[in-house]
Amino acid sequence: MAGGGVILVLVASAVLSPWIAPYPPTHIDLANRMSPPSWKHPLGTDELGHDVLTRLLYAGRVSLTVGFSAAVASALLGTVVGLVSGFYGGWLDNVLMRFVDIMLSIPDLPILIILARYFGGSLVGIVAVITAFGWMGTARLVRGEVLKLKRTDFVEAARALGASPARIMWRHLVPNALAPVIVAATLAVGGAILTEAALSYLGFGIQPPTPSWGNMLQNAQDFIWRTPLLAFWPGLMIFLTVLAFNFFGDGLRDALDPRLRT
Amino acid sequence: MGAYLVRRLLQMVPLVLGISVVVFMLLVMAPGDPVDLLLAGNPRVRAEDIQALRKIYGLDDPLHVRYVKWLANALRGDFGYSRTYKVPVLDLVWDRIGNSMWLTIPSFLLALAVAVPVGVYSALRQYSALDYAATFFTFFGVSIPAFWFGIMMIYVFAVVLRVLPPGGFATPGVAPGWPTVLDRLQYTVLPVVVLSLLQMAALTRYTRSSMLEVIRQDYVRTARAKGLRERVVIGKHALRNAMIPIVTILALGIPNLFAGAPLTETVFAWPGIGRLIVESVGGGDYATAQVALLFLAVLVLVFNLLADVAYALLDPRIRYD
Repeated sequence: MAGGGVILVLVASAVLSPWIAPYPPTHIDLANRMSPPSWKHPLGTDELGHDVLTRLLYAGRVSLTVGFSAAVASALLGTVVGLVSGFYGGWLDNVLMRFVDIMLSIPDLPILIILARYFGGSLVGIVAVITAFGWMGTARLVRGEVLKLKRTDFVEAARALGASPARIMWRHLVPNALAPVIVAATLAVGGAILTEAALSYLGFGIQPPTPSWGNMLQNAQDFIWRTPLLAFWPGLMIFLTVLAFNFFGDGLRDALDPRLRT
Repeated sequence: MGAYLVRRLLQMVPLVLGISVVVFMLLVMAPGDPVDLLLAGNPRVRAEDIQALRKIYGLDDPLHVRYVKWLANALRGDFGYSRTYKVPVLDLVWDRIGNSMWLTIPSFLLALAVAVPVGVYSALRQYSALDYAATFFTFFGVSIPAFWFGIMMIYVFAVVLRVLPPGGFATPGVAPGWPTVLDRLQYTVLPVVVLSLLQMAALTRYTRSSMLEVIRQDYVRTARAKGLRERVVIGKHALRNAMIPIVTILALGIPNLFAGAPLTETVFAWPGIGRLIVESVGGGDYATAQVALLFLAVLVLVFNLLADVAYALLDPRIRYD
């Protein structure tokens, strides 16, 4: 649960970045390029004279926004597909699940690189691209839950009372399948942040001057001989954030799933 | 088993075709076709020449015509020329796959050599200090961005300690034979460690949970009750059964080593298949990107099949007919 505390701090610093960052995000201090940490620039400056602390804070907004949006979008899409697939069954289930199999067997990073060429650069585009490869796990999860729940007495009762399929799905199936979806979505935030960072590092994601932890690393590697710290901070932020979400998701799973308790 | 294999192999044909269609469409419809890219480098080209070029490259044909042309040539073994490297695509891709093998095979073996003993030990001594350390390590491994880990390794071992090269493939001017092999090994150390980390973390976790499940089984208790030595109980009765699901994970993980390679190979400037994909997609070298991506897809399908076959061979309870 310590992960939750770290996440709160990260979210707060991202939201508050316009107030706590020492400089505007694109402010350039030409006289002090690639300077070491100082009172003026607590974490130093990069090769263009951006204040690194400022960039880190603003990049956090971008990375967290991408992470949360992609995780929520994937969870929604996956839930809908899983619900429909599990509830109606038959050929529809077959088609949807074979599609899930295909999507899961495609190595995602190379395809993400291609897709990012279409939509890359914009925040919405990156979220869409990550979502396109992020929903399959949730779909399988929800389908499994629905198949189990479909046979329970309360669902039979609802059906006998004449509830419409939409009402059964929304009022009876979704709330009962929610816990694992929330766990999966929490873990997905970390995954989405990693993917965004990877795409941006390769130059296909968020484009400068908008800072993201991934694209800050892209240039930093070239200056590793002179200013190694430039490459250290953005990666550390990605690592800590993803680690926090993984720990939090894992803790959430233990808390929400009584079957796992021993 | 034979009939099953034949059926699965036949099923792969439409799948590969389907994937080739999807990849082709994705690549061809992306903004910036070869002529646009040519023009970006030379804005003074005349309009007639543009038209002529588009005709030569067949860029004005409808999409399905272009795909069928590509497929017809591909079936005859002609995958076209790389626009960037000016060599036949197939030669280029083969070459790069060979380079990638220098990384993927050692990192696979390294992951296996570390993950299985750690996972087994972790399960046998559940909640011990080493178990907690291993669990933390798996979180660490799946959370750390591979490329950042790579950069940090470069900093420590190449910049500060100066014991390993920061990236690249070979030192120019090294004598052929053993010196070349030794030289190459130096370059492989860091990328192999980085590439294997994620695989290692996942494998440790699976080994641990699979082993935990198996040691609670009745046949393990029976083996103990028979008075067998602990070594035999663990090594022969427990581990062999625990390895069945692990083999599947391993087989499915190998394509991931190639698919994850774009990042590691970019960090270490390694001229492998992953780097080739990044370069060719980014640089509009579609003939190359198409074949490289298709190779990855086929690799995934083949290893999926291998995983299923291995499963049936190892577990007598499973039979495919």
